[in-house]
Amino acid sequence: MTPSAPARDASPRAIEPFQVTLERFEGPLDLLLHLIRSQDIDIFDIPIARITEQFVLALEDELETMPIERAGEFLEMAATLVRIKAQLLLPRPEQPDWEEDPRAELVRRLLEYEHFQDVVHVLEGAEAQRGRHFAKGYVEGRPVPALAPVELQLTLTDFLSVAARIPEPAPPIEIRPPSQTVTVDEKVSLLRRLLAKTKRVAFDRLFKPWGTRAHAVAALLAALELAKQQALRIEQVKPFASIWLLPGDRKQAQSAAAGAETAEEIE
Amino acid sequence: MKVEQIVEATLFASQTPLTADEVARADENLDAESVVAAIQALRDAYEESERAFQIYQLGDGYQVLTRPEYAPYLERFDSVPRAPHLSPAALETLAIIAYRNPIGRIEIEEVRGVSASSVLRTLLDWELVEVVGRGEGLGRPLLYGVTRKFLEHFGLKDLSDLPAPDELPVVLGELQQAMEAELESSEKPETPAAQEEAEEEAT
Repeated sequence: MTPSAPARDASPRAIEPFQVTLERFEGPLDLLLHLIRSQDIDIFDIPIARITEQFVLALEDELETMPIERAGEFLEMAATLVRIKAQLLLPRPEQPDWEEDPRAELVRRLLEYEHFQDVVHVLEGAEAQRGRHFAKGYVEGRPVPALAPVELQLTLTDFLSVAARIPEPAPPIEIRPPSQTVTVDEKVSLLRRLLAKTKRVAFDRLFKPWGTRAHAVAALLAALELAKQQALRIEQVKPFASIWLLPGDRKQAQSAAAGAETAEEIE
Repeated sequence: MKVEQIVEATLFASQTPLTADEVARADENLDAESVVAAIQALRDAYEESERAFQIYQLGDGYQVLTRPEYAPYLERFDSVPRAPHLSPAALETLAIIAYRNPIGRIEIEEVRGVSASSVLRTLLDWELVEVVGRGEGLGRPLLYGVTRKFLEHFGLKDLSDLPAPDELPVVLGELQQAMEAELESSEKPETPAAQEEAEEEAT
């Protein structure tokens, strides 16, 4: 790796070692520190041009898929790097004072950030160590019997007086059974029989003859179920046009079973 | 009844750390000093008889915990919680707060280079950090500090258990000192007000 910044049109190989996924970085400082430390760069003499190049390259692929706030944080750092790069191009005194180096503030932040990464490692170690100590009450006890026997200290009168206070049960809600019932299974077998006999079946033929909502619902569910099994295909030319059901790929296997059942005349 | 046994019974029965003062409430003849002495005697006794547990100091409290070498056996039980792990963002934020205590959100974000509001909210929810006062300056920003629960979570007696900055691998030297001087001069909390508020927070 040459210290000079790779040209924009350099082969991908030249930058390969620094191809990183941003996901594993907490933020721009983390990424920057990784670029510097992984290349053994002297942090007090950062080659800004090269680092900027690598930083932007790492951003490029993922910037658009990042949450906007996170993207902003990375872009802000990219802007800072470009600004420092520009300042470095300005003429400087012969013996530059470190304080006046445009990179000084960034270096301070990076060192500070790195310092706290060390603290993070200390905390991680402490957390792991603490996790190996257990307090009382963590291990599950033996299962408690569902109900311990209760000794009754009530008289029958006590019991009846309590019982008398229980309100009358509310009258049950009347549920009227539908006059005609039909199951999805019935519609499935009907549909299979029809598909075995004809090239295509109009969807409304499956329920029109009965004229009830229950039949329409069952027919729809049956059609969807068979479509899921790839036993039929559903076609509709345009919205509100007739829906046609056509045999699917697995029609042969399915129709064999259906053929055994008694035919029902609906045509 | 011996003092040591009373202290032992109190700590044994508790599922959370107890301070010496809290333990002393068990008996009129106890005070914090005698409790601490009793704890030390108990610790020595446990050590000598190779008990599987020991009395550990977490923050300003004491708790009976198993020794780490028995963790593999206890971890076999399904009901034993896995060791909790905080996210890198949470650890980073806690590290900054622990060393810069008290510190405002903006300063935390300056160090991290990323937003800290959501991670701060989480840490507040988990009671690992708390508001300890308000800083000077625009909007009198809230200042945060770590809690007793933070010490318990990491098994620390107090913040001095953490290595001093110059013991860490990265030595910042003059830059670090200059930075600290700058920070100190720019954001000293109003001590009386901050303390009042911390007390309000605690009650």
